[in-house]
Amino acid sequence: MKMLCNMIWWAAFITSAVVVQSLLPGLDALVVGLLILLQNRDYKNMFWLAPFFIFLQEGMGTRFFGGSIFLYSVVVVIFRMSLWFFEVENFLFVFLLSACLMVPYYVLDWFMASLQNITFDMEKTLDKCFLQAVFLPFAWYFCTMTRRWTKYDDVT
Amino acid sequence: MYTWNQRTRTLDELAENIGLELTGVALTSMHTLRDFALDYWRRYFALVSVREENEQLKARLDSLEARLVEDRESLAELERLRGLIDLPKSPSWKPLGARVLAGRMGPNAVRASIVINRGYVMGGRPNTPIITNNGLVGRILRASPHMATVLLITDPTSRVAISSQTGRAFGILIGKGPELQLEVIYMRRDANIKHGDVLITAGVDQKFPKGIPVARVTRVAHSDYTQFLVVEAVPLVDLRHLEEVVLLDPTGTARLPEEFDDVPTRFAVPLAP
Repeated sequence: MKMLCNMIWWAAFITSAVVVQSLLPGLDALVVGLLILLQNRDYKNMFWLAPFFIFLQEGMGTRFFGGSIFLYSVVVVIFRMSLWFFEVENFLFVFLLSACLMVPYYVLDWFMASLQNITFDMEKTLDKCFLQAVFLPFAWYFCTMTRRWTKYDDVT
Repeated sequence: MYTWNQRTRTLDELAENIGLELTGVALTSMHTLRDFALDYWRRYFALVSVREENEQLKARLDSLEARLVEDRESLAELERLRGLIDLPKSPSWKPLGARVLAGRMGPNAVRASIVINRGYVMGGRPNTPIITNNGLVGRILRASPHMATVLLITDPTSRVAISSQTGRAFGILIGKGPELQLEVIYMRRDANIKHGDVLITAGVDQKFPKGIPVARVTRVAHSDYTQFLVVEAVPLVDLRHLEEVVLLDPTGTARLPEEFDDVPTRFAVPLAP
């Protein structure tokens, strides 16, 4: 039962994330899922969900393959490093993390623009990073609230 | 890995086939669910107020109003679809309809683009031209079996060989970004072009059929730095509010020299600037 709830939750999360991304151009909604996987130390699911997120982002994007691998690797590295210093399952930490992630999002856009001959618009990129930074903590909060429903223990 | 992928495009193709396709599945499901919910919502409102006589009249009014809105929407769609049928016909290009599912999606969607529900198994191969009854929209950038991403003409990496409809002055139309004016480069100083002229595809790049209206000239000036004219234009198609588009699938039949030269009146009608 727990496994089924978990699967339904992830299917609903991915669908919602895709819809949110279609409504807010440039937003990365799937990174919330990665953060939840890291917080839950759910490495078994992360093994297939992280590549799935990467393929989704790369498939719906218009850049050459690679950007999402860099971004999600940075998220994992920052999270792992933060484990030494912070309590990683509270709103404040997620808020700080999302603020920190503005930098790799900006750097990636700038770097890929020069690498792939795409016009780089600093103002729009900053707007995108800011939107991402604001979106992540609230989306994370909402997701963790709904995720409690999947903590169903089977009665044996 | 990045350079290997640049050479072989293996990971890009994999991402297109998995990521874009699944995105399409999610979006299509949500569109269907939204239509169903809206339909159910309307029906519910039409039924709840049927108990009393006064309420019946009210309900009837609500129902009629809802139907009117629905009919108006259907009428608008019908008009758009009729417009699409009015497109000029050519034996070398087969028109295929498609719906727009979304605009730019995700952090990797940095180019001006839209997502449509027709992939390479349905005629939407990369570089297929995309048009509406008003003019050129762009071309397919990447495609999965049932979905495709379209690069709009406003994107800075978009290049279209054009000529002016009246003066036959040739140039290359480039995008400057969404909501910015298009620019024509390499337009000769002695070219016969003026403000208000319609730019059509020249067909010399072999990517777009000749004669499709693309943009309307808004500014013509002499450059102080180059030997070419400075020409700016606005797209004829409202790229922010696209709902249906037409793909021009190449049939392989030899292109006729006069293809699309006879631009239908619908194409020639100017749009609001």
